[in-house]
Amino acid sequence: MKACMIIGKANVGKTLFAINFAGYLGVPRLEIEFTTPGGEIYRRTLTQREAVEELTSPAPHHTLGLQAFDIQMPGLKGRKHFAVLDTSGLTDGIPEEPLVRRAMAQTLAQVRQAAVILHLIDASSVTKQGAVEAVGQVDWQVAQFGGMRTGYAILANKMDLPEAASGLLQIRREFPGHVIFPVSALLKTGFAEVKQFVWRHL
Amino acid sequence: MHNRNLAPMTVEEVLDWLEEGRVSPAEAFALFRTIGERAEIVSSQAKESQEKLNDVLAELDGLIGLKEVKQLVREIQAFVEIQKRRTEERLVTEPLVLHTIFRGNPGTGKTTVARILGRMFRHMGVLPRGHLVEVERADLVGEYIGHTAQKTREQIRKALGGILFIDEAYSLARGGEKDFGKEAIDTLVKAMEDHKQEFILILAGYTDEMNFFLQSNPGLRSRFPIHIDFPDYNAQELLAIAELMLEQRQYRLSDGARRRLALLIQKGLRSNSYTFGNARTVRNWIELAIRRQAVRLVQKSGEMTRQDLMYIEAEDFGEGL
Repeated sequence: MKACMIIGKANVGKTLFAINFAGYLGVPRLEIEFTTPGGEIYRRTLTQREAVEELTSPAPHHTLGLQAFDIQMPGLKGRKHFAVLDTSGLTDGIPEEPLVRRAMAQTLAQVRQAAVILHLIDASSVTKQGAVEAVGQVDWQVAQFGGMRTGYAILANKMDLPEAASGLLQIRREFPGHVIFPVSALLKTGFAEVKQFVWRHL
Repeated sequence: MHNRNLAPMTVEEVLDWLEEGRVSPAEAFALFRTIGERAEIVSSQAKESQEKLNDVLAELDGLIGLKEVKQLVREIQAFVEIQKRRTEERLVTEPLVLHTIFRGNPGTGKTTVARILGRMFRHMGVLPRGHLVEVERADLVGEYIGHTAQKTREQIRKALGGILFIDEAYSLARGGEKDFGKEAIDTLVKAMEDHKQEFILILAGYTDEMNFFLQSNPGLRSRFPIHIDFPDYNAQELLAIAELMLEQRQYRLSDGARRRLALLIQKGLRSNSYTFGNARTVRNWIELAIRRQAVRLVQKSGEMTRQDLMYIEAEDFGEGL
């Protein structure tokens, strides 16, 4: 099955985006396939509210492993069946915890096959020195990797926060030549443009 | 960074190194790009884009005439390519401002070249969609205060990811200070700031009118770094265009028809160029001749051969159209 992969640093809102975007695409109950860092696979069905409560957290590295949301997206010419693939947060340095490193390796193993890569950046923390979610070396490298292929877009997330407007301008300056969508995973804004982009590249 | 001499050789090795804590995720992505280069990871997509880009450039080369336009488009393509490579190497880049002025008479290939530019930028990764939204004054200018900004914004929204092509753009400045056209210009200028690199704006029109338009709007002029002039086609080029149009429709000109068409073209070129629409007029003549050929054949008695169906005769062009 084709995958729309959500990638980015820890704490930029990947899981909340995946849950709310799946809901926006018309999925009433979320069919989720979890792959643990150890390779164990299990499935669960959750409502959006349950998913938000269980799967999201303000602490970094809450998502370890892969979470694939099963999606059937209707369009003008039929339906497309694919997975929104939520992944572990990336870091600029080498994480100390082996489980976190293994989860990141899992993410990178998937990135080669993904039809679409949505790279989330926290627009409200672009310039926060030392913040785990601030733009860093790994964002540059992901963008350079994404620039070599089609179906890659940057999502400037957390546009609902006051610092995000200037953050978006800075993202546009620092990542020229890339497709950039301002979104708020929390308020579900900017999703229509992302949906169009995903539809075109699947 | 780790010792390059011992660098992992395959993507799988990079993943092992990442898991073992020997490289960071950022370094792993960098290694992804260098290992097996584009071959193992993304080459099929890049190759596909390159092939499509080559097709678009071949289509450009296949256009009759337009030597300087083609050269300029090639220059733009090379410039964009080099800026992209420089970005990859984290070198300082020139801003990729590609808003363009097209100057020339009707039927000189402006819309055709705009479509080609859209597809070229799409396959180069500059524009995600590369489609062309073709509008004129009436599509942008409204009838009451606030209406113009709304109409203009709507066209800009449609063009995001592609090209907004405004034909006869000078007409936006037609009515002076109190005209709503000025509001359209202001809205366009604002969108060029707000949606930088999300769309390309092409303003097209007659050479003299466009020059006057840009002189009277200096703020606008400075935002369009690329100016492309579309000269009128000469008689030989117009005849070649006509034959190409017919060939695409599986028709041919008889010797008599070719002579008649050549005369018509020369007559058209001698007339005022504002009324003679270059390739567009020739296309209209061709379409009229095709309809007249059909009437002639239907009225003809006797057997209709394949040759009859294919050939346009001199009489199909009428006396003077």
